Amino acid sequence: MPKHKPTWLWAATFGVEAWPDEIHFDPVRLRSRHAMKTANHHPAIEIDSLSFQYPGTACPVIEIDRLAIRADEQVVLTGQSGSGKSTLLHLIAGLMDPTAGSIQINGICINGLRGSKRDRFRGHHVGMVFQTFQLLHGFSVIENILAALMFSDLPKGQHRERALGLLEMLGINTPNARIEELSVGQQQRVAVARALACSPTVVLADEPTAALDPEFANTAMDLLQEACRSVGSALVCVTHDRSLVERFDRHERLEDLVSLGSVS
Amino acid sequence: MALSDWNIVMRSMRSRWFSTVLTILTVAIASGLMTLLISMRSAGEDAFKRGTGNVQILISKEPGPLASVLNSMFYAEAPGGPILYSQFEELVSSYPFAWTVPTQLGDSYQGSPVMGTTGAFFESFQPAADLVWTLSDGVYFDSPFEIVVGAEAAKVHNLHLGDSITLEHGTARTMGGHDHGEFGFTVVGILNPTATAHDRALFTSLESSWVLHAHDRREAQLGHGVHTSIDDVSDDDRKITGIYASIGERKAALMQVLGALRADPNWTVANPASTVGGLFKIVSNIDQVLLAMAIAVMFSSGISILVALYNTMEQRRRQIAVLRVLGASKMRVFNLVLTESAIIGLLGGFVGIAIALAAGTVVSGILQARVGIVVNPSLPVDGYLMIVLATLALSCVAGIIPAVVAYRTAVVRSLRPIG
Repeated sequence: MPKHKPTWLWAATFGVEAWPDEIHFDPVRLRSRHAMKTANHHPAIEIDSLSFQYPGTACPVIEIDRLAIRADEQVVLTGQSGSGKSTLLHLIAGLMDPTAGSIQINGICINGLRGSKRDRFRGHHVGMVFQTFQLLHGFSVIENILAALMFSDLPKGQHRERALGLLEMLGINTPNARIEELSVGQQQRVAVARALACSPTVVLADEPTAALDPEFANTAMDLLQEACRSVGSALVCVTHDRSLVERFDRHERLEDLVSLGSVS
Repeated sequence: MALSDWNIVMRSMRSRWFSTVLTILTVAIASGLMTLLISMRSAGEDAFKRGTGNVQILISKEPGPLASVLNSMFYAEAPGGPILYSQFEELVSSYPFAWTVPTQLGDSYQGSPVMGTTGAFFESFQPAADLVWTLSDGVYFDSPFEIVVGAEAAKVHNLHLGDSITLEHGTARTMGGHDHGEFGFTVVGILNPTATAHDRALFTSLESSWVLHAHDRREAQLGHGVHTSIDDVSDDDRKITGIYASIGERKAALMQVLGALRADPNWTVANPASTVGGLFKIVSNIDQVLLAMAIAVMFSSGISILVALYNTMEQRRRQIAVLRVLGASKMRVFNLVLTESAIIGLLGGFVGIAIALAAGTVVSGILQARVGIVVNPSLPVDGYLMIVLATLALSCVAGIIPAVVAYRTAVVRSLRPIG
C-alpha cells in the first residue's frame, strides 16, 4: 500500500494518474503458478561456497560461504561502491559464471545449467529490475510485459490477460502507450510489472530507486515490495541508500559476506 | 495476443524504417537488374527465333542477311530492293522449294506495317514452331482490298470486322509517305495472337498492294485524279520485297539450295534461325559483361545488408541484452537478426522482380515499337523462385556477421547504466 499520496510534484514526475489510490493485488490469481514452482519448499536462493574472480585479477571479488533466502523473504544487500553488489545479482541471475561454488534457485543450481537451459530457467525463475529500468524502447507498455512472457511457460493465449492484469495492478492504464511517452515513475512500474510477469521465484532489484528523487524512493519501494509479496516472489534488493534498509525483513552487508576486492 | 519473435523483428525493422527501406531498395535494384537481364536475354532470343517461324530461306535484295531478316520478318524498316514477280516465279521453278511465300512491304496503316502477300502466307508459313494461323473473327482475304488484321494491330487501332480503312504509302519511319485515301480496304478477318512481330501487322493481297503502286505511277504519268484498277497493273508494278521459303525436312537439299542461292550475287539469302543465332552470338559478350555486373551488384547489395545491420548492432546491444535477461537464448537472438536479414533479402527479391517486370514491360514496348519484335520478358515460375532464393541465401550469408555479434553480446556490460 503506498505511503505517499500524490502531490503536484509526484504528478509532474510520475504523470497525473501515476499513483493509484490503492493498488489492488489479486494474490490468488498472481500466486497460483508461483505456488506450483515453490511447492518443493526449497529456499528461493541458496548460495554455497561462492567465489568470483575476474580473469587476470589476483583476488576474488566475491566470496560467500553460505547465504540462503527464503521464498517469502525480502532482503536488502548494501555495500560500498565496487563491493560486488551488482556482480552478485548477475551471478544469481546466471548472467555470469562463478569461479567456484554454487547458486541454487528453487533447488536448481543455475550455474550448473548451460546455454539455452540456463536462459530458459532465468526467464522462468528470475525477474530483474534495473536502476535505469532497461525497458525496450520502441515497444509499447504491454509489449514490454509480453516480451518477458515470451520466455515463460504460460500458454500464449493467457499472455495478454496476464500482462493487462499486472499493469492494472500497478496502476498503468495506458497499455498501448510507447515507453518513451511515460514518466520516470510509470516506467519504473512497467519495469516492476515486467520483472513479475513470469511469477519468478526471485526478483533481483539493482539500485531500483537510484534514478528517482529521494522523496519518491520510499513510494517506489512500497510498490516493488508489495508487488513481490502479492506474486509470492522473494526480493533481493541491492542499494547503497541506507535509508531503505529498515523497510526490509533482512539486511545483509556485502562487506560481511564477501572478502573485499575491487569491481571494475 | 502474445508477442512473438516475428513481432520483435518487425518492430526492430520499423524502428529503423528509413535504413530498412533503403536496404530493401538496394537489394531490389540488384535482384531486379539480375531478373531483367536474364529474362530479357532469354525472351529476346526466344522472340527473335519465334518470329522466324518455319522459314528456312529468306530471299531479298537487302544489303545483308541481318537487315533482310529484321526488315522482312520483324518489320523494322521498309525493305529496299524490289524483286519483280516474274523473277520470283522463275526462282520458284528453279529450286526444289517445299513452299514459298512472296511478301511485299512498304505500306502502313497508322504506323502499323501492311504486308502484301498470298494465301500461302497463312497456309504454309507458321509464325512460330508448330503454330498455325487462326482467326479470332472473320475470314482470310480472298479478293483485292480485303485486309486481315494482326491481333495487336486490331487492339491498338480498335479495328473490327467490316471496318473500312485507308493505307499510307511508306512505313511509320519512312519520311515522305502519302495517303492512299482513294482506296478503301475492308477488314475481313482478325487474327489470333501469335506473340510474334506479325501480330502488329496487317495483311492484304499482293494485287491490292500492286494497285496502290500502279496508281502512284499513273498519277505521276497522267496527273492527279486518275482512276486505277487491277487491270491497270503492269508487269513493272508487280513487285515484291521478300520471299519466305522452305525446303521441308530435306536438310541436305537445304544446304545445297542455300549454297546455290548465295552464289548468285543478285540475291541476299538468309537462313533466319542462324542469322538470329549469329546476332545473339555478337551480343552475348556484352550480355555476359552485363550479367557479371548484375552479379557484382547483387554482392554489393549483400554487403549493404551486412553494413546496415552491423551498424545497428551497437544501438541494439542493450535491447539484445534485455531480451537475454528475460530468457532469450544466444541462438534465439542470433536467429532474430538472421531473420531480419532474410526478410530484407526476401522483400528485396520480390520488389526486385516487380521492378524487373515493370521495366521489362517498358523495354518490350520500346523493342516492339522500334525493332518490331514482340518480347515477353518473363521467366518460368521456377526462374523467379531461383532469383528469390538466391537473394534470400545472399541476405542470410550477409546477416551472419551481425547475427554473430548479437550472439556474442556481453549481457552484463551492455546493461551498465550509460555515463
